[in-house]
Amino acid sequence: MTHRCLLQMVLLLCFSTTALSRSYSLLRFQQRRSLALCQKLLRQLPSTPQHCLEARMDFQMPEEMKQAQQFQKEDAILVIYEMLQQIFNILTRDFSSTGWSETIIEDLLEELYEQMNHLEPIQKEIMQKQNSTMGDTTVLHLRKYYFNLVQYLKSKEYNRCAWTVVRVQILRNFSFLTRLTGYLRE
Amino acid sequence: MLALLGATTLMLVAGRWVLPAASGEANLKPENVEIHIIDDNFFLKWNSSSESVKNVTFSADYQILGTDNWKKLSGCQHITSTKCNFSSVELENVFEKIELRIRAEEGNNTSTWYEVEPFVPFLEAQIGPPDVHLEAEDKAIILSISPPGTKDSIMWAMDRSSFRYSVVIWKNSSSLEERTETVYPEDKIYKLSPEITYCLKVKAELRLQSRVGCYSPVYCINTTERHKVPSPENIQINADNQIYVLKWDYPYENATFQAQWLRAFFKKIPGNHSDKWKQIPNCENVTSTHCVFPREVSSRGIYYVRVRASNGNGTSFWSEEKEFNTEMKTIIFPPVISVKSVTDDSLHVSVGASEESENMSVNQLYPLIYEVIFWENTSNAERKVLEKRTNFIFPDLKPLTVYCVKARALIENDRRNKGSSFSDTVCEKTKPGNTSKTWLIVGTCTALFSIPVVIYVVSVFLRCVKYVFFPSSKPPSSVDEYFSDQPLRNLLLSTSEEQTERCFIIENASIITEIEETDEIDEVHKKYSSQTSQDSGNYSNEDENSGSKISEEFPQQDSV
Repeated sequence: MTHRCLLQMVLLLCFSTTALSRSYSLLRFQQRRSLALCQKLLRQLPSTPQHCLEARMDFQMPEEMKQAQQFQKEDAILVIYEMLQQIFNILTRDFSSTGWSETIIEDLLEELYEQMNHLEPIQKEIMQKQNSTMGDTTVLHLRKYYFNLVQYLKSKEYNRCAWTVVRVQILRNFSFLTRLTGYLRE
Repeated sequence: MLALLGATTLMLVAGRWVLPAASGEANLKPENVEIHIIDDNFFLKWNSSSESVKNVTFSADYQILGTDNWKKLSGCQHITSTKCNFSSVELENVFEKIELRIRAEEGNNTSTWYEVEPFVPFLEAQIGPPDVHLEAEDKAIILSISPPGTKDSIMWAMDRSSFRYSVVIWKNSSSLEERTETVYPEDKIYKLSPEITYCLKVKAELRLQSRVGCYSPVYCINTTERHKVPSPENIQINADNQIYVLKWDYPYENATFQAQWLRAFFKKIPGNHSDKWKQIPNCENVTSTHCVFPREVSSRGIYYVRVRASNGNGTSFWSEEKEFNTEMKTIIFPPVISVKSVTDDSLHVSVGASEESENMSVNQLYPLIYEVIFWENTSNAERKVLEKRTNFIFPDLKPLTVYCVKARALIENDRRNKGSSFSDTVCEKTKPGNTSKTWLIVGTCTALFSIPVVIYVVSVFLRCVKYVFFPSSKPPSSVDEYFSDQPLRNLLLSTSEEQTERCFIIENASIITEIEETDEIDEVHKKYSSQTSQDSGNYSNEDENSGSKISEEFPQQDSV
């Protein structure tokens, strides 16, 4: 009798782990939807004045972001989470000088927050399994990039021009995120 | 000789003085350099290798790894003691690997540089204690926690919104009853008692990086006396088609209520967001313990909801905040299951969508996963299985047992959604098992074998019956031999044919007696023989004594 019980337990465990082993299809779907919404919201914000964009700013965007396909699934998740978190961080700062709609920014923040919530359990799982990967170095490079953006905003005292420049950067980030999400295949 | 000795001694002594001066550089170099980083403060500590500490100063430089541009650290130039500190502001960037070097100086002499192993400050930094501000209610304490480091902190600039705080709270009177809770920067600790002094300490955590900070100092505060107007409790929100129904408990009378909600992400952002709580329409000054508002009012997302009561005596504190996800209420229809018994130890389950959900696009939007619960009809022990497939088998069951199955649909990977309600319970009995089958086979074989036996027994019985009740009129076969002549046979068996008599003429009576006597002896021996007596059956009444043994009848014999 105990032998049979054991077999049942093993089978039950197999079912459970099959269920738990993440299928990223829902995640991909939700994320694509969320990113599309974020881009739409961001585009609704006015991008004037144009002259602000004329100055070339180099924020040292990491080289890795030029090639989305090189990331492994787990590294991609880490990178996506980090980027969402940093964009969230930037958008919580003072944008009153821009005259942007608070509702739009709040909707954006909501989307980012929900997407981060979806990713958190997966991210936790990945962090526990791996100690240091390519993902970690990329994350550090990303932090430096976003830190440069924040320092730029601070140095310009969060004025309209600075925010316009940052907005363009964030739009590019969303494009990269969309590409990266597309590579999250089984 | 003596002079030579004296000169040598002099030279040796002089040499001793000279030599230290020549190796002064190597002696000065600092040793055992340690770096501690807490928030934005870098603490450098080292040991000086020279015995005389006077007039020795130390300076430190840094550079970003890979560049060749050593910069002076302004907090650590010409330091007389063996430690110095500087801020990360000087570094400008804490996310890159930096190199530090330090050397000692004495007058114009400088030691060689001691180079510290390159490191990334952000990865080595320790999270410092957060700044805590408290406010007391009667049954709760409101916390306002500022992230570690200053407002202009560089180290944690990118993590401001990621910190979570672990609070340990206890009653001042007994430190045994400790409670630990994880809170947001602006949060409340509930379920406290009024008019008690509580003490707490807080530490910051970066959960996803598994980094924990130092505890803050202990703060103590008194909860107020019980408020005249109690707060509502047990808030619940249900979705119903196009409306939300907000309900709460309030067992007291004569109160009006007010409900507010806040978008959940504000909790992550440090700072005061009391102005971000918005009034829920249709839920202001309601007198009943529920209110109804349409779904369009809120955009999709996660919210916190709170309610407070007011009556003649004043207004209560806000109730406990209830998290509420609009996505949670996406309607998923319960699935339809069918169960079949395939073999004796397994059941095949097939999960299908109900008719209503066939039309909804929900299933295409959200990949579904099924939570299947099944149990033996007689016992209460339930087994829960999560299945993505719509056709699967439960193996290793008991044969000839009734099992019941019910299932509900969940959105895969989205635990916040409650999923559908349970489908109808379907029960099915497993087929008879191998052991029963064995018995069946044995039974069948036994039956097969027993049939001939039974037939044999029955026929024996019938023969007995026939023997007793229906004796056969057929003569034994030996008689037949003797009466093989047709006429006599005919006489015995039937009288239909014409019979002719044949006569025997007996010439001598003594011959007969002799024959009888010899026969008599034979008869004695053959008394119990089943064979037919050879005697032709002459009845003799003359000698009763001698011929008494002669059987008067034809012995019957049965022929099988």
